[in-house]
Amino acid sequence: MNFRVFFKSVKFAYRARMRVFAFILIYAILYIIVARGLTTSPGDLSYIGLAFIVATIYAILVSQFRRRDISIFKCIGWDNSNVMLLVVGEVILVSFTAFLLVFQVSVEILGLTAYFLGVTSVTGIWSLIYVDLISMFVTLFWIIVAQIPGLLLSMWRATQVPPMRALREE
Amino acid sequence: MAKPIIQLEEVNKEFGKGKNTVAALKDVNLEIEAGDFVAVLGPSGCGKSTLLHVMSGLEAPSSGRVLVDAVDVTLISERDMPKVRAQKIGFVFQSFLLVENLTAYENIESVLWPRNDLTKQEQENRTLAVLREVDMLERRDHFPKQLSGGEQQRVAIGRALVNDPPILFCDEPTGNLDSKTGENILKIIAQLNRERRMTVVLVTHNHDIAKFARHTLNMKDGVLRRAG
Repeated sequence: MNFRVFFKSVKFAYRARMRVFAFILIYAILYIIVARGLTTSPGDLSYIGLAFIVATIYAILVSQFRRRDISIFKCIGWDNSNVMLLVVGEVILVSFTAFLLVFQVSVEILGLTAYFLGVTSVTGIWSLIYVDLISMFVTLFWIIVAQIPGLLLSMWRATQVPPMRALREE
Repeated sequence: MAKPIIQLEEVNKEFGKGKNTVAALKDVNLEIEAGDFVAVLGPSGCGKSTLLHVMSGLEAPSSGRVLVDAVDVTLISERDMPKVRAQKIGFVFQSFLLVENLTAYENIESVLWPRNDLTKQEQENRTLAVLREVDMLERRDHFPKQLSGGEQQRVAIGRALVNDPPILFCDEPTGNLDSKTGENILKIIAQLNRERRMTVVLVTHNHDIAKFARHTLNMKDGVLRRAG
């Protein structure tokens, strides 16, 4: 793996602000829903199914939005392993940033609740957002698992973009 | 006579199937010497861009052989073709084809990112040297949308140069520029041909632009003829 291409693709993904920020928010909500679902009904796989659907849709959208860039990079000599990193970089950026966002918000909620209410258990409206540490890491694991098929699909789609596409679309 | 760096033997290219088949290139035979500057002149739709795409391996010919720097690109798999393009070919397109989310500096440097044989410092030095060469050093942190057409084309030229390829393909490089800016771009390309001994193949519909080249080839309805 070419780490330079990978880190550049992460940096590059941040510049597509609207798309990336929108999906960070969607993934953060997904983390909360899946975490709560896994906590309240541990045997229910529908939450993991939801994570799979969202992750797959996002991965397909990334490869779709990046088609022009992918074909330009292919024109200038990038091979398939490098263009795949473009897609991987953005998906990893979004899923981990969303995880960190939920983590940070949960820590803040716990801290504020303890400071103002003097209790260490989160109740009321804040409990809708708060995710405890163990649930968070379990959810992260399941979201990574649910992400894999979509990620592979988007990587495959990236390899199928012909370099001529950029020229034809201009 | 210098060694040919590009050779086309009985190259045909057809688009479509059955009754809708259109022959874009018809039995094209061509040899271009290393260090030459060749202009392919012809009206729009005559197949000159297709010729460039076939020569660069962006499109496979329907039949015939294409040798680029002694490598038969018709025998190379699509998987290995990017490596050949990266090592041997630089592109300059009419529509610049810059990546919108990358700065001028990054657009040029992106060619080098996949190269593990160059350190980060070497990649930076090369990129800065090329930016200086195309006179874009001061605008290096600007995104394509913040640059004029001429500046974008200079970035595109820089991107084509940074890997130091022996061949430069230019597809209507001044097509989206005003005449004065276009002339400046052509001067840069002619200078690269003279000073770097780069082989330049330029396609255009404009006779005035073709005057910058050492040799001109005329193309009409997919048939290529040497003009001078």
